[in-house]
Amino acid sequence: MTSTTTGKSELTAEFVNPIIGSTISVFEMMLGCTPKRTGLSLKADHIPEHELSAVIGISGKAAGTLVLSLSKSVGIGILDRLVGISSDEINDEVCDAVCELANMIAGSAKAQLEHLEASISIPNIITGKGHTVHYPSNVSPICIAFDSEIGTFTIEAGFSDR
Amino acid sequence: MKVLLVDDSGTMRTIQKRCLSKLGIEDVTEAEDGVQALERFEAGTFDIVLSDWNMPNMDGLQLLKEIRQRNKDIPVIMITTEAERARVVTAIQAGVSDYLVKPFTPDSLKSKLERWVTSNA
Repeated sequence: MTSTTTGKSELTAEFVNPIIGSTISVFEMMLGCTPKRTGLSLKADHIPEHELSAVIGISGKAAGTLVLSLSKSVGIGILDRLVGISSDEINDEVCDAVCELANMIAGSAKAQLEHLEASISIPNIITGKGHTVHYPSNVSPICIAFDSEIGTFTIEAGFSDR
Repeated sequence: MKVLLVDDSGTMRTIQKRCLSKLGIEDVTEAEDGVQALERFEAGTFDIVLSDWNMPNMDGLQLLKEIRQRNKDIPVIMITTEAERARVVTAIQAGVSDYLVKPFTPDSLKSKLERWVTSNA
C-alpha cells in the first residue's frame, strides 16, 4: 500500500537519485538488463510491496533501512542471471544472490553520499506476504518501483538524521 | 597459483571462481568471513588473496591488517561495495594491493584478476 500524501523526509529524498542510479547500474552490470523506473511514492505503512525482502540497515550521520522487495520469480531470475543456476523455489542460493544484489545497490548509493559517512549492515532476508520492516520512527519510507526483463520490483528506503 | 577467496556471499564466490577458472586458475580455497580466512591463511600457502570488505565475524579490513602482520608481500585485492574515497584510502594505508568496486562488469573483473594472477604466476 502506497500513498503520495504523507510527510516527506528531506534526508530520505536525498537518497532517491543515488538509489535509482545505483539500482539501474547494478542490474545492468551484474544481470545484463536495464530496469525502468515506473513509480515513486511515499509509503503509508512499513509492509514491502512483494513477498521477498532483502533488508539492509544504514548507520552513520544518517540511519535507516533500505529494502529490495521482489517476488519469488524475480528472486529466482536474479540467481539465474547472476550465476546461471536454475531454481524453482526460494532456497539459500536465491536468498544469497538477492542479498548480494541489495548489498551492491546500497553500497553504490552510499558511495554517492560520502558526506553522510554511512556504513551498511550485512543484508537479511525476510519472506512471506504482509511482513513488516523496521524504519526509524516518524519516517515515511519512499517506494521506488521498477520494471525489468525479469519482472517488477521495488526499492523501499527510509532515513533519519542522527 | 593458489588463491584464497574470501566473501560471505556464495554467489559472489561462484562468480569470482568462474572468472579465475577462465584464467586457468583452479586452486581456489574459499572462506566465508575474515576469521575463517585467517585460519586458512595460516594453515596454507597462497599466492594471492581476494577479499570482500563487509563480512560477519571479521571484516575484510581487519583481515587485511592481520595478513599484513604475517606477510607484507602477498597481493591482497579488495573486491567490495565500499567505494568512498575515505574507505579506499583506509584500505591503501592498511596495505591493500588493489581494489575493485562492486558492481563490476565481467570484463573488469577478468582484467583485474588477469593482471595479478599473470604477474604472480
